[in-house]
Amino acid sequence: MRFCVPMTLLLTAALEAQPQLLTLAGRSPLISIRVVFLTGTASDPVGKEGVASLTAAMLAQGGSRHMSYQEILDALFPMAVSVNFQVDKEMTVFHANTHLDNLDEFYKIFRGMLLEPGWRQEDLNRLRDDAINFLRVSLRGNNDEELGKEVLYNLIYSGHPYGHHNAGVVSALQKLRLEDLQEFYRRNYTRSNLIIGLAGGYPADFAERVRKDFAQLPADPPPAVKLPEPPPIRGRHVTLIEKDTRAVACSIGFPIAVRRGHPDYPALLVAQSWFGQHRMSGGRLFQRMRELRGLNYGDYAYIEYFPRGMFQFEPDPNLARRQQIFQIWIRPVEPDTAHFALRLAMYELDRLIRLGLTREEFERTRQFLSKYVNLLTRTKTAELGYAIDSRFYGIPDYNTYIKQALARLTVDDVNRAIRKHLRTTDLHIVLVAKNCEALRSRLLADEPSPITYNAPKPAEILEEDKIVAAWKLNLKPENVRIIPVEKIFE
Amino acid sequence: MSNGLRLIIIPTDYPNVVALYIVVHAGSRNEVEPGKSGFAHLFEHMMFRGTRNFPPEKYEAVLKSAGASSNAYTTDDYTAYHTTFSKEDLETILALEADRFQNLEYSPDVFRTEALAVLGEYNKNSSDPANKLEEVLRDTAFDRHTYKHTTMGFLKDILDMPNQFDYSRLFFERYYRPEFTTMILAGDVDPAHARSLVEKHWGNWKRGSFRPEIPSEPPANGPRSNRINWSSPTLPWIVVSFRGPAYSDEEPDHAALDLIAYLGFSESSELYRKLVIREQRVDILEAENLRRVDPYLFNVWSRVKKEADVAAVQKEILATLEAFREKPVDEQRLERVKKHLRYRFALSLEDSEAVVATVARFVALRRTPETINRLFELYEKITPATIQAVARKYFTEQGRTIVTLTGGRSQ
Repeated sequence: MRFCVPMTLLLTAALEAQPQLLTLAGRSPLISIRVVFLTGTASDPVGKEGVASLTAAMLAQGGSRHMSYQEILDALFPMAVSVNFQVDKEMTVFHANTHLDNLDEFYKIFRGMLLEPGWRQEDLNRLRDDAINFLRVSLRGNNDEELGKEVLYNLIYSGHPYGHHNAGVVSALQKLRLEDLQEFYRRNYTRSNLIIGLAGGYPADFAERVRKDFAQLPADPPPAVKLPEPPPIRGRHVTLIEKDTRAVACSIGFPIAVRRGHPDYPALLVAQSWFGQHRMSGGRLFQRMRELRGLNYGDYAYIEYFPRGMFQFEPDPNLARRQQIFQIWIRPVEPDTAHFALRLAMYELDRLIRLGLTREEFERTRQFLSKYVNLLTRTKTAELGYAIDSRFYGIPDYNTYIKQALARLTVDDVNRAIRKHLRTTDLHIVLVAKNCEALRSRLLADEPSPITYNAPKPAEILEEDKIVAAWKLNLKPENVRIIPVEKIFE
Repeated sequence: MSNGLRLIIIPTDYPNVVALYIVVHAGSRNEVEPGKSGFAHLFEHMMFRGTRNFPPEKYEAVLKSAGASSNAYTTDDYTAYHTTFSKEDLETILALEADRFQNLEYSPDVFRTEALAVLGEYNKNSSDPANKLEEVLRDTAFDRHTYKHTTMGFLKDILDMPNQFDYSRLFFERYYRPEFTTMILAGDVDPAHARSLVEKHWGNWKRGSFRPEIPSEPPANGPRSNRINWSSPTLPWIVVSFRGPAYSDEEPDHAALDLIAYLGFSESSELYRKLVIREQRVDILEAENLRRVDPYLFNVWSRVKKEADVAAVQKEILATLEAFREKPVDEQRLERVKKHLRYRFALSLEDSEAVVATVARFVALRRTPETINRLFELYEKITPATIQAVARKYFTEQGRTIVTLTGGRSQ
């Protein structure tokens, strides 16, 4: 597998050493601003995992040189503006929406936050607590689904710059000092790796003012992060996370060479949409697992990172990555049916690879996506975000890119891409469950796991169930391990 | 419209996209019979199970061809079905929706399967202690009113759902009627054309005759409290709650409590400054004054970093509320909160879907978007004296419920 690096953007920027500006001027009194640095948690030094996120948090949720955090909150409160941030492997974004009435006053504060951080120890203490509590409590304790997904990523990218959670690792977070954050800021927040997006009815000279302000950042681009290929996976690996929980959450995945701009991206997007469009009931997995069998609340598939999917219908922009994975998300199932549900997901993936899409399924999905893409960019801030991502990937604006590519696509292209990039072996499976020892024994024994229903089912389903229940996972004992939840992210 | 259906059309400048909300004025508040908690929500699921003309596969196929994003949610007071799509598909979507609202049909077998998906939804929520906290808070604070249970419902009722097919048909007959329904269309639409399409597809929908009787809650006789032991590690939670008023765009009480929520507990409040920023003993602090058809609760939620601090944080929250009773708030601070609310509202309207989603929440209460204007006019009239009077009326020992949750091994 080869990953081409989107260096065009970085090189152009470095030569000019100017922030790139992306504007969507309009008449709306709602002004959106997105400031994206092409840096992120893949740049966390070993032993300092969490520094990228904590640095961004200090900017967005800490004081500036001239204002304490409390003073910033007080000043922003009447405007009802909040500065949001998101840190991913290769992108860090700060974004806010403000009313035109308050643009000037807001921007002065915003500029101070990003360009003249306050670096106060008390802010670091609070934000470090937040980061650790996010990992230990919000994620590990209270959200089994997201926990499973994030552990899946950590396993797939083990020993790789993507191999830790964006929020960091607890033991590293505990040791981070202000100097580590300042160092990270100095090296990674430069005008060469910066894209600023503006949308709305801002005054004519505003864009130039922003560009000039951010041009004060250092010119030297941050050190390039070399991404090796993800470690090879041989066979099927199952990681059971032992936790006192009611149901069983499951994620399955493996790396793919496809990302936006790759010739097979549109084809794989169609396949993914047909198989498991996020939070929609028309996907194959959803239909077979939830609608027909009532196994859980929903079942979906992804070819791009999509965090917080339980809280939102559309992905956030500015999570662009050079490397992506294919992923199946099975929402929590009753413990008795966990083995069957896992087998059914694998059976369906196998079926997808064997049979592909029919012409009619392809046409319908293509039509869906060519319109649905409009919904992804219906807010100005999302449109800006997608435009910035398109620069990262070196593609035209996302809507045009998708619509043009879909128009040229054939069902054969899709089915060829499925066979080329998807597989049912050499992958990771993560289950968050109680009584993992017993589950491990059942998985290794590989005995049939029949399912019973509370209502009659069509003969076709009952026949299929027999095949699914006996579907061999062929797991090796050394590839099925149990991790107590307390050990995760530590 | 003559059959009792209400239609609200909001043309916006956002191009190409149309957002549709269909609000049914029945939610978990309408689950009056014992053992039927969670039913309005289950019913929302059933609405995706098809009709004779459009079985689920065909329904899905039409939505898919329209590139539509479609979903639904249920609350205490209403159930909302929303679809966002390209403007050229307006008639297709209106016809499709009209069909399922009038001709929904599903078998007992399909019903039993769908009931399991609801259990799946409960399961996916079950690892978050905040859900449990809300469940216990309502159960503790209310005796008779159906706000006693959450929209999800009690687990025992969810487990029994597969056996309630007949009740599900009754629920449909009662509430899925034009007089219980308000439709909102926003986006790139021509009002006259849209209205004619709605009349064409929805005009023959027949009125029903059911009048729900929601039990009223007896006067408060607290204080009450409850405690939850969470089996896995978590940070402790505390919720301090008072019986509050119903939503009103005429009487100042509910609107004044909105302002108190921000004055006392928002990011710019003194208590937030103390507990979150200065002392760093708490990582979540927020007040909630939900708009409900009947009197509900004013809640202050807090997640505390150390179990040993729970009692002290409780004391601080109570003292903050007590201060509203004792002396009038600063006029300037009150003006800042009013300004915040105005800009907050304006900033929330960032696309047609956001506009219609916001309007739907208000329409669910009064069946007209005019209530938004009236509420904001009401905010303007509220003075420090109103705030004090409202605080004295509601922040009483009798109306108080406190629930705490602590984990097996809190960190």
